[in-house]
Amino acid sequence: MEAKLRDSIVEVRELTKCFGDFTAVDRVSFSVGRGEIFGFLGANGAGKTTTIRMLCGLLAPSGGEGAVAGYDINREYGKIKGRIGYMSQKFSLYNDLTVKENIQFYGGIYGLSPRETEERSAELFGIIGLEDLKDKLTASLPMGWKQRLALCASLIHDPAIIFLDEPTSGVDPLSRRNFWKLIYRLSDMGKTVFVTTHYMDEAEYCHRLSIMKNGRILEMSRPHDLKVKYAVESMQEVFLASLKEQS
Amino acid sequence: MGRIKALVQKEFRQIRRTKAYFGLIFIAPFVQLIVMGSAITNEVKDIPLVIVDQDRTPSSREIINRFDAVPLFDFRGIADSPVRAERLINRGEVKAALVIPRGFEGEMIRGLMPEVQVLIDGVDGNSAGVSLGYITSMAALIQKGWASGMAGAGGMEIIPRYFYNPGLESKLNFVPGLLGILLFMMTTMLTAINIVREKELGTLEQLMATPPGGVQLIIGKIIPFTVLGLVQFSMGLIAARVVFGIPVAGRLSLLYLMTLLFIMSTLGLGIFISTVTSTQQQAMFVAWFSMIFALLLSGFFVPVRNMPPPVQILTLLNPLRYFMSVLREIYLKGTPLRYLLPEAAAMGGMGLVLITAATLRFHRRLE
Repeated sequence: MEAKLRDSIVEVRELTKCFGDFTAVDRVSFSVGRGEIFGFLGANGAGKTTTIRMLCGLLAPSGGEGAVAGYDINREYGKIKGRIGYMSQKFSLYNDLTVKENIQFYGGIYGLSPRETEERSAELFGIIGLEDLKDKLTASLPMGWKQRLALCASLIHDPAIIFLDEPTSGVDPLSRRNFWKLIYRLSDMGKTVFVTTHYMDEAEYCHRLSIMKNGRILEMSRPHDLKVKYAVESMQEVFLASLKEQS
Repeated sequence: MGRIKALVQKEFRQIRRTKAYFGLIFIAPFVQLIVMGSAITNEVKDIPLVIVDQDRTPSSREIINRFDAVPLFDFRGIADSPVRAERLINRGEVKAALVIPRGFEGEMIRGLMPEVQVLIDGVDGNSAGVSLGYITSMAALIQKGWASGMAGAGGMEIIPRYFYNPGLESKLNFVPGLLGILLFMMTTMLTAINIVREKELGTLEQLMATPPGGVQLIIGKIIPFTVLGLVQFSMGLIAARVVFGIPVAGRLSLLYLMTLLFIMSTLGLGIFISTVTSTQQQAMFVAWFSMIFALLLSGFFVPVRNMPPPVQILTLLNPLRYFMSVLREIYLKGTPLRYLLPEAAAMGGMGLVLITAATLRFHRRLE
């Protein structure tokens, strides 16, 4: 495991989370390489969000071990938080602040100086395309733009990896496609993107994919390999076939 | 430091955009002081009174004239009989009746002690007691007038002088207390609701995925709400001066120091409430619940020393109790710090305990 840490940014083994009697995540193991777009596909309640929360240091694992960005998820979760970007399922920036104020706030709490925040946000606004909206109140933005703003805030401190928990839920199809273009761009820039989704078309875009059900990982491979394995045309069919095989 | 600065700046930006805060800080102190400061009073004035005169002599008429002349009583005239007077009290038209029996003057001339009966509406015990006091002293006054007409009547006269509140005006007692109540409401409830709102919206979860620790997040809440509290308190001071003409007898710096200590305890309570509740309604309920307790056990309405001993012990846990007496002491008596050290220590200590408890409960991870 020590040797592998150099080229993988996320590495977990037998990761488990129980809430009382309920096992939300059941002994999952995987690793994610640098620059990879790694997808978690599964129905609601499959354990995707719980897994992400453990990786981001938001939840204490019940069992298993692992490291994110070189820090142990059981002991050094405080340090992990400074190295990662996290975008939760629900839009959770401040609606009563302007776009720019939200970015200034996140720059500040990630420990950037106002100048660094300014430079960094100019760069990100260029990529993400928020420049014209920066003085607008966040509440007035359409959902698609809010998601971009949230992405921008999670990237302000230039993390090596970002965790996106269903980033495109509630967003129209066109915005979803644009959002995925951004994800590719980030990957080209060397960022690791860890993303959960329940859209099958989005699953196709991932470099590597794991299918989760009831807290277990059923499949983990490249989308193309999965389609070959099940001898089907689309991810939709892969997903259904894998679930059927399991039950 | 930079992180706390970012948190504080964000909070102020949000506060600036929330119109309700403006009203709470700048308008509420005036409205509350004007309405409540005028309404809450334990003074008893204009007591509606009837007199039953069964004697019909110069002496009984003099009693009637004297009661009619005093503004403390609202003399409603003569009632025909004690039964009629009782009916008036039952109907709530008068609060008190004086019955001068037949033969009153005659007995007095013969050197006996004639009795005058007083009927009082005792529903409000406090007012009834005060009314009886007024009537008794009126009677004593009349009696003294008669006695001095006779030879050899000597006696003792008591001349009272009330310190700090010479006119025994209840506004001097209640207005400073109201400032404390306003501050308690503002700081405890708003802080609790503000933090729980961040929980509900999910912005707190987002914050928890960033580097600042619980202590930094809590300091980032304490600073802006302390400032809000102090501004609101200052508006209250101005309102008390402008509306009621009540100046602060003591040192303003001491008053603010004490206010700061009090705010620490109420903010601590507010933050603590936010850690044990998960919705704004729950937080509101718990904050209200604790506020009513704090209010009733503060000595605002009922002096703490009049409460049953077990309840008196309970009031020791109430920061408002200390602040209430501190406010009255500094406002009316100009008491210096050295006599207020126990109160200062109690409020500061409670603040420290509550903030520490809140910080310990304020996890860096979700549950």
